[in-house]
This record gives sequence, structure tokens and C-alpha cells, in this order.
Amino acid sequence: MSRIVVEDVSITKISDLKRGYFRLNIAPFSKAAKVKPGQFVHVQIPGCGVYFRRAFSIYNFNAADGSIEILFKVVGRGTACLAKCRRGDRLGIVGPLGNTFRFPLKKETPVLIAGGVGFPPMYLLAVHMIEKGFEGERIVFLYGGNTKDDLVDISRIRKLGVELILTTMDGSYGQKGLITEPLKRIIDDRCGKVRLYACGPEGMLQAVDTLACDNDVPGQMSLEAPMPCGVGICLGCVRPLREGGYTRVCRDGPVYNFGEVLL
Amino acid sequence: MSIDLSVNIAGVEFKNPILTASGTCGYGEELADLFSLSRLGGIVTKSITVKPRLGHPPPRTAETESGMLNAIGLANVGVDEFIEKKLPFLEKFDTVVVVNVAGAKIQEYVEICTRLADCPRADMVELNFSCPNVEEGMGIATSAVLAERAVAEVKKVFGGPVIAKLSPNVTDIAEIAQACESGGADAVSLINTLVGMAVDIETFRPRLTNNTGGLSGPAIKPVALAMVHKVYQAVKIPIVGIGGIATADDVIEFLLCGAAAIEIGTALFVEPDTPVKIARDLKKYLSKNKFDSVKQLIGQLRIYS
Ligand SMILES: Cc1cc2nc3c(=O)[nH]c(=O)nc-3n(C[C@H](O)[C@H](O)[C@H](O)COP(=O)(O)OP(=O)(O)OC[C@H]3O[C@@H](n4cnc5c(N)ncnc54)[C@H](O)[C@@H]3O)c2cc1C
Ligand SMILES: Cc1cc2nc3c(=O)[nH]c(=O)nc-3n(C[C@H](O)[C@H](O)[C@H](O)COP(=O)(O)O)c2cc1C
Ligand code: FES
Repeated sequence: MSRIVVEDVSITKISDLKRGYFRLNIAPFSKAAKVKPGQFVHVQIPGCGVYFRRAFSIYNFNAADGSIEILFKVVGRGTACLAKCRRGDRLGIVGPLGNTFRFPLKKETPVLIAGGVGFPPMYLLAVHMIEKGFEGERIVFLYGGNTKDDLVDISRIRKLGVELILTTMDGSYGQKGLITEPLKRIIDDRCGKVRLYACGPEGMLQAVDTLACDNDVPGQMSLEAPMPCGVGICLGCVRPLREGGYTRVCRDGPVYNFGEVLL
Repeated sequence: MSIDLSVNIAGVEFKNPILTASGTCGYGEELADLFSLSRLGGIVTKSITVKPRLGHPPPRTAETESGMLNAIGLANVGVDEFIEKKLPFLEKFDTVVVVNVAGAKIQEYVEICTRLADCPRADMVELNFSCPNVEEGMGIATSAVLAERAVAEVKKVFGGPVIAKLSPNVTDIAEIAQACESGGADAVSLINTLVGMAVDIETFRPRLTNNTGGLSGPAIKPVALAMVHKVYQAVKIPIVGIGGIATADDVIEFLLCGAAAIEIGTALFVEPDTPVKIARDLKKYLSKNKFDSVKQLIGQLRIYS
């Protein structure tokens, strides 16, 4: 049995979340039941002339009907084209790809830090923790963006009953400022008992990585890199490791311990 | 009617003419998560060098129109780790293992191939004379004299068949192919990547830290076909065609131009199960056109005179 499959799937639903964000449901994906938080799919976007597939984190999955969901922002040619797809259109996907997060210990408070389009894997991780018996209220979920436009699908994360802290750079929603401000307070308040999980823009990850390393807080983050193949065979997605050498983000990652990768 | 996809190159039997190209399938471990490597005619492993190499700093790849540029810089585990840790993984698959070898000097090819001579699973070697990302290697690729000598030296130490992999970045590829044949090469494979460049107009920087890289993918297929066609007329040894192959139709074009087998490279990045699909579609084509063996296509191009 193949661990990774190459399949044609249909778009079963596409939702315009406004301001350039879209949610896409696709099915049937034969590995939907095997998906782990942090994993991604490599999507071939038809009819737009981009040669490589594009990587998207798995936002949610439904083992029963074999569907998965992705959430994306339009940033270039491929994503613009994907946004124009309609229900019933076919897409090629390869997946599930990449590794997953380490589960927190019982005594630890998981703190999930999502910046902008880093939200999908953090959401799925929260869902997974709750399914595995973590009470929602014990999970702290920080969700930040530049403006309130970047905070999409807030209602979904609210439904999980997590302790939700929202931030925007311009103060248009939630607390004003960087997501790392409330994070610093949480680390100080609950010293020694938190485990951090982060996904978001490079600048945010750098700040969280530094905070985690300086304060000796355990945890992991999910990284990005341009990915020609997504399956570990091209060596194009490498990033430098602190201990020397390179790591393939698509296969050895995208999830890394803090301090592991040179950002 | 059963359809025979097998081909024979230098006495080695391939169950089908489909190989995966060096540098686009690692050492096989990753693709084995997608399909059994036993479905391949052969696998050509990532170029190995005497010492491990980290490769160039990222970005090492750039997407281009109908293809890509790469300047991986021959990142590989080195011959010791390859023999100890990578080759054993390929034991369990029923496929031909072609070990691709790269070096800065002829002596390095000899050193690596001497080690490989003791490895029963190294069915064949392919000498990468043409990696455009490593300056030193280019000398052999562009010099008929050096290429002939390199093949001859390797033939003295490696008992199995030797394939010389040719660079398209030369004035006359047929001349280099003939030199390799004179040196004792059992086959030639072509083409490696073409030197190319892409520029970021916001930063005024090349898109690769190596500044230039190797162009591959569908963009290079017409160039590769013309070169296979030319070399087919110049040498008697078998040709392995490489360059932009993504479908069974592409494979058939190469076979007609004279290739006895082909390698799939960049297409694996976009469609990692390409070899499986091609094997299926190749059978369909043969059956539809009433051929019973893929060998019936090799070199059957009807050129205009
Ligand atoms: C593991 C992984 C998971 C991802 N998950 C999501 C997700 O859930 N939702 C989402 O919206 N996006 C996600 N991305 C990013 C997404 O892959 C890119 O936005 C997409 O490839 C852009 O394609 P494009 O053709 O629209 O843009 P392009 O025209 O290719 O590029 C537009 C701009 O984005 C940059 N860029 C392109 N690809 C990447 C990349 N992979 N990493 C960083 N910068 C890039 C380019 O340099 C350029 O500046 C993920 C990326 C990775 C590697
Ligand atoms: C990312 C990448 C890495 C490569 N590495 C090697 C290598 O290590 N040795 C080699 O002989 N060729 C290497 N090649 C060249 C391919 O084997 C092949 O000759 C070339 O890409 C043309 O075929 P394609 O268009 O099907 O990719 C590499 C190509 C790519 C795209
Ligand atoms: S994207 Fe090819 S190795 Fe990671």
C-alpha cells in the first residue's frame, strides 16, 4: 500500500471568504482518514500555466466521506487561478505529505500561534488535541494578522471552545500589535508549563523561535519553502540546519523543533 | 496478444524502457512511498562523489515556463554512505540499478567506480560528465579527448556496463558521443540540463544563488530529440534518451529517434507516478498500432531526405 497517493479529486465546494481568502473542499481523497495535523497536499492547478504544483496545509478532513479542506490566500498566479475554480472542477493532488506535531504532555498548556495563512494547520492541530482528550479551554490559541481582514474563519475556532486571543497590527480587531506580545505574557505567567506550536509568516516564526529558545520553552513550528516536488526527491526546498547541513522542508519537515532550523 | 515492453542495453535486460533520471529520484527511498520501484525498468541514482557534498545554498531551483532551473550543486551522501546505507535499500526491488557518478577529475570517477565494482547491486554506472553547476566537471563534458580517456579508465576498473551521460552544452554532441564510444562506453545517455538563467526584476538578483542553473522539463524536449537523432546517426552503441519526457507519446518520439530506453526527470516532480502511467499508456499505444514489442519502434523515424 502506498503511503502517499497521486489522485484526481473534485472540488465539492468553494467558499469566498472575501479579501482574497478562499476555502476549498475536495473529494474523494483516499488518504483522508490518515491525515495528521501539519501535513499538506501538493495541488496541481489546471489551466494557468504554472508548471509546479502548489503546497497547501490540510485545514480539515472528514474520514467518513473522504473529503479534505484547504484554506488559501491569493498571492500569485497559481492561487489566483485556484480561486477561479468552480464546484465540480477537477484537481490533481499528491499527499498526504510531510511530518506532524509532537503531542503535548498532560501537564503542559498547549499554546498555538497562528499568523495569517498559517492558521489552517494550527486549527487542525487544535481539533486533533481536543479529539485526543484535551479540554478545549486548556488550549490557548493566538491568531494574528495585519488587519482584521487576515483573521478568517474566526467562528470556527471559537466553536472549539479554546482560549482565543486575537491580534492585529493595526488594531482593527482584537489586541493591537504583534502576536508575540500576548505570547510573552503567557510564557511569563505559566512558566515551565507551556508547549508552543507556531505557523505563520517568516518574521513571526523568527520571533517565536527566539522567544522559545531564550526561555527554554519546548515546541515546534511549521515552515514554508518553495517546493518543486513536495515528496523529497528534488532537494529544492532545503533550509539550513543550526547544526550544519540542510533539511528538506517537504519531507523532513515542515514541522521542526524550535532552534533546529536557521531562520 | 501479450505486449513486450522489455529492452536490452549492453546485455542488461530492462523489463521496460522507463528509467528515472539521476537527481530526480534520490536513492529511491521516497518514490517507494508512492509505487513499487519494481515497476521501473531501472533507477538511476543521484550523482555520487568521492566525499559527501552539501550542495549550493537555497534558492537552488526556479520555476520557468514549461520547466525549471536547478543548481542543486551535486548534493549527495558520498560514495561510502551510498554503498553502506543507500544501495542496500534497492536490493529488494526487481529493477536495474544504475549508479550515477560525478567527479572533478578522471581519478575521482575511477576511485568511485572501483568501489562500485565490488557491489553486486550496482548493475551499471552512468558517468555524469555534464553537471553544469560544478565548474570542474564541465571540462570532461566538453572535451572529446578527456571524455574518451575518462570512459577508458573507468572501463578498466568497473566490470559492468558503463553509460556516458552527455551534456548538451557543447558545439557537437555527436563528436563527444563518438569519443565515448571509442573509449569503450557501452551506451550513452543524453541530455543533461542546458545552462540557463532567471532574474528577479524586483531585487535585480538571479533567482538562483549559483546565478545560473540547468534547464530541464518539457521546455528542453525538442532540443533533446534533435540531439538523440544526431547521436543515433553517429554511434553504434545504444542511446538512453533524456529531456522533458512526461508522457508515453514523448517516450515514443525518443524511441523513434533512436533511443533504446529513456529516463524521466523533472516530470517526476510534477507527477511522481509518471513512470507507472507511461508504462500503461505505452502498452495501449503498441496494442492499438499492432506492435508486440516496444523494440519495434527504436530508430524507426522516417526522415525526409
Ligand atoms: C508546506 C506548505 C504549506 C502551505 N500551506 C498554505 C496554506 O494552507 N494556505 C495558503 O494560502 N498558502 C499555503 N502555503 C503557501 C502556498 O504554497 C503559496 O502561497 C503558493 O505556492 C503560491 O503560489 P502562486 O502561484 O499563487 O504564487 P507565485 O506566483 O508562485 O508566488 C507569489 C509569491 O509567493 C512566494 N511564494 C510562492 N510559493 C511559496 C512558498 N511555498 N513559500 C513561500 N513563499 C512562496 C513567491 O516567492 C512570490 O513572492 C504553503 C506552503 C507550504 C510550503
Ligand atoms: C533537480 C535536478 C537535479 C539533477 N541532478 C542530476 C545529477 O545529480 N546528476 C545527473 O547526471 N543529472 C542530474 N540532473 C539532470 C537530469 O538527470 C536530466 O538529465 C535532466 O533534468 C533532463 O531531463 P528532464 O527534462 O526529464 O528533467 C538533475 C536534474 C534536476 C532537475
Ligand atoms: S520539494 Fe523537492 S525535495 Fe522538497
